[in-house]
Amino acid sequence: MSSDAVKKRKPKVIRSEAGAPETKRGRAEGDQDVRVYNEEVELEVRDPQQDYMLYKDTCAALAKLMEEIQELKAGGAKVQSVEIEERRTQCSVHFITLKKLNRLAHMRLKKGRDQTHEAKQRVDVLHLQLQNLLYEVMHLQKEIGKCLEFRSQHEEIELVSEEEFFQEAPAEISRPHVTRDDQHQLTLARLDWELEQRKRLAEQYKMSLARKEKIQKAIEQKREYLSSLQPGLQNIMQASLPVQEYLAIPFEHMQKQAEVARHLPPPLYVLLVQAGAYGQACDKNLSVSISGDVDEAKALSRPPEDSQDDESDSDAEEEQQNTKRRRATLGVQLDDKRKEMLRRHPLSLCVDLKCKDGSVLHLFFYYLMNLNILTVKTKVSTTTDLSGAVSAGELLNSESLLNCLYASDHGKETPNPANRYQFDKVGITTFGDYVSDLGHPFVWVQKLGGLQFSSGGAQSGLTGSALSASHMERTMKLLRGRLQARLALHKQFSSLEHSIIPVSSECQHLFPAKVVSGLVRWTTMSCQEFTELGFVQHVLKAGLVHETDLFFMATVERGTARLRAAVVMNPRYPEVAPLFSLSLHWKGERSGRTDDNLQAMESEVNVFRSELQGPRPGLQLLTNQIQRLCVCLDVYLETESQVCDGSEGPKEFPREKMCLRTARGPSRLKPFKYNHPQGFFSHR
Amino acid sequence: MFISLQLLHMSVFSQSFSPCGRFLAAGNNYGEIAVFSLSAALSPDASEASQKPILNFTAHDGPVFSLLSTDTHLLSAGNGEISAWSWAELIKKVRISCSVNDNSLIVGGGDNNIHIMDMETGIFKSVLKGHTDYIHCLCFKEREEEILSGGEDGAVRIWDARTNRPVHCIEVFKYEECARPQFGKWISCLATDSDWMLCGGGPSLSLWHLRSMSPTSVFPLPGCQREAVFYQDLIMSVGEGPHVSHCLHGGTVKAQIPCTPSSLNTLALNLKNSEHRVMTVGGSSHQIDVFTNFSYRAFSLSF
Repeated sequence: MSSDAVKKRKPKVIRSEAGAPETKRGRAEGDQDVRVYNEEVELEVRDPQQDYMLYKDTCAALAKLMEEIQELKAGGAKVQSVEIEERRTQCSVHFITLKKLNRLAHMRLKKGRDQTHEAKQRVDVLHLQLQNLLYEVMHLQKEIGKCLEFRSQHEEIELVSEEEFFQEAPAEISRPHVTRDDQHQLTLARLDWELEQRKRLAEQYKMSLARKEKIQKAIEQKREYLSSLQPGLQNIMQASLPVQEYLAIPFEHMQKQAEVARHLPPPLYVLLVQAGAYGQACDKNLSVSISGDVDEAKALSRPPEDSQDDESDSDAEEEQQNTKRRRATLGVQLDDKRKEMLRRHPLSLCVDLKCKDGSVLHLFFYYLMNLNILTVKTKVSTTTDLSGAVSAGELLNSESLLNCLYASDHGKETPNPANRYQFDKVGITTFGDYVSDLGHPFVWVQKLGGLQFSSGGAQSGLTGSALSASHMERTMKLLRGRLQARLALHKQFSSLEHSIIPVSSECQHLFPAKVVSGLVRWTTMSCQEFTELGFVQHVLKAGLVHETDLFFMATVERGTARLRAAVVMNPRYPEVAPLFSLSLHWKGERSGRTDDNLQAMESEVNVFRSELQGPRPGLQLLTNQIQRLCVCLDVYLETESQVCDGSEGPKEFPREKMCLRTARGPSRLKPFKYNHPQGFFSHR
Repeated sequence: MFISLQLLHMSVFSQSFSPCGRFLAAGNNYGEIAVFSLSAALSPDASEASQKPILNFTAHDGPVFSLLSTDTHLLSAGNGEISAWSWAELIKKVRISCSVNDNSLIVGGGDNNIHIMDMETGIFKSVLKGHTDYIHCLCFKEREEEILSGGEDGAVRIWDARTNRPVHCIEVFKYEECARPQFGKWISCLATDSDWMLCGGGPSLSLWHLRSMSPTSVFPLPGCQREAVFYQDLIMSVGEGPHVSHCLHGGTVKAQIPCTPSSLNTLALNLKNSEHRVMTVGGSSHQIDVFTNFSYRAFSLSF
């Protein structure tokens, strides 16, 4: 609309007035005397209410005019009538007024909006500022907080206490006049002091380090020097071995032994020490050595597991397993437990006793750890070959060689009473079953190892080394005596089996020069066979026969007469004499029970044995006894013929022995006692 | 061990009861004399200990072959010596030897002679010679004061005690009924009871009537008898064989009571004491059997 265009042009003009007064002036120059129309200024002057009333009035006038026009038009007036034209111009004027008012309204609105906007902007700016400030405040507060919380590293440094500080620090650092009042200064001072001390100490430390380095180097040097010596020393040791042997000081050997001996269990160690001491002091022919696995022994020296705890655990396991598995597992486990219980220490001692004739008795001592007993096994090695005597088979049998070294020390049962309970747990009824494997647990072996078990007998108050020492000499003598006795017996037996009674020259005086009766047989017997003999029952009843004894049968013959002698030999021969029981087969069967003279012969051999001992150590007792038996048989047979005076016929045994009197006493005993050197027989 | 060996080979050769009859002394072949208390052994509460000797001592070197009790003393004879022990001291378990008596002691010895000794002074009064071998046994006939002796030579000699002269000599082995040549001729036991005499040894045990000097009965006992006694109307004898034989005068063997020793050397009857009237026998064993009732063995004393 053109009016719009006009309106548009005008605000442009008006508007730009504020900004560019020059253009406005230009326009103003262009339009001469054009009134500058600033509606905006007018806006401030006019009252909106008035404008509103004017608007209403104008609208009303317009409406009225329209009505009048309407009336007029209705009245049939022409369109171009003056009245209508007049009214139309008025309407147009009114329209202009309306437009103006509209314009004003728009302008007012705009203005209002602008103002609001401006205000709003101002508020926003302030608001922003406020927020910034608030933010800053918060930030600052945080910072303050941080600052307040700040732990200075200096607080972590342990400072000496103030008193110490004031005492120790030099005045220029401590500055007491200042620091006493001012905490900050005090702290600073203290820190200073601390720093200085630390510096000093650091210096010292460095110096010490340096010194240490030096010393370390010196040590290294000396070590190298020593290790360079080592091969030299070794050479010397090697070279000195021959010298040691020559001088019989086995120094190195002893050292090595001492080294291994550290790992021995205590009883074996006691035994080693005592045996070695005894060997050095009294008996040059005794030597001790250690054998066995040292590494295993070292492994054992860590704390041993308590076998009882193990057992209770495995018992529980067993019960569980039983329900699932077969019985065989139980047996195997029991077997393992038994093996564990009977386990030997890996190290063992070997004691060698040499005799004059070169034979050696080897004793091997073992220690059963869980049972805490010592056992021994033996071996005999001789210079000469000992085969040839059938009856001597049992003599040097290692199982029975050391039987009854002391009376009634059989070595079949363990001497430790506590073992009974241990055995019950694993179902071992007799230890005797394992003896052949593990060795014999003789009581004297325990005593040599210093182990003393209460067994009801009289106890000495000694234990350990003292106990071992008190028994050592006697036991070694007994052992040697036993070996020698057995070897002597061995020789004697091989000669007896050849029907020769070996009588040594020292014992010749006990017997007459001529002995006609001769030994024809010498055999061993078992205990069973012995007890079945008829003529030995009196010995059995008297309790003089034990299972550990050796039994022999000797047969002496002369002509038709045959004398059988059953011999019971105690393992402790020759301390305990062999016991003879006689049975004569000549014109009937007679035994010591039925014939008083045979009993007298038995007593000659059994009771009066001290004459027959021979030179010390009395190893010829047996052979002398047998020889005497032959002599007595001679006397018996020869004097028997005297009895029957009236009988006819030649005497079978002519009288050759010289007897004072052939019968004496109510039982008319024969003279069995031989008198040397006169060479006659008499009664006792 | 040695003691039990000894016991095994022990023989008891002689016994004698004490004058009071309460004790028994026994001698063995080792020369020991043991004194047993009969009253303890026979009492109702006897134990094993009461069967052991109350005193045991070595009297001689050799065996103690004979023991004899007088009123106060025990005489023991060993190898060539006679010792006298006072019973009073023995009972008190102390031993001293001395001899006090007013009787004579007749000793028969190994030197083939009989010696008569005065007990008070200890001097031998006289010697009876005649035997050719050693004398085994002696006995005395009080009424006629005769001494009978038997020896190894097989002869029984009768001597007059007053005149010390031999009266008779009987060689038993010459009599066919008695002789047992397989055993020999020696006489080892003698006993008399007024007119009767028992003798035995190699020859069988036989009962002799002294007036007629002939054997009236011969006892069929198998072994050689070593000691025989008259008791009431029985004859008891011991010898080889482990039994005591009870025989009658007629010549029959009434009973043979078994004993522990396998052969017996000595038999003794305790007639002095009526409380402890026992018979004890000893032989080739260390045990002495005691018979309270003569028919069976009651218990044994042991050395």
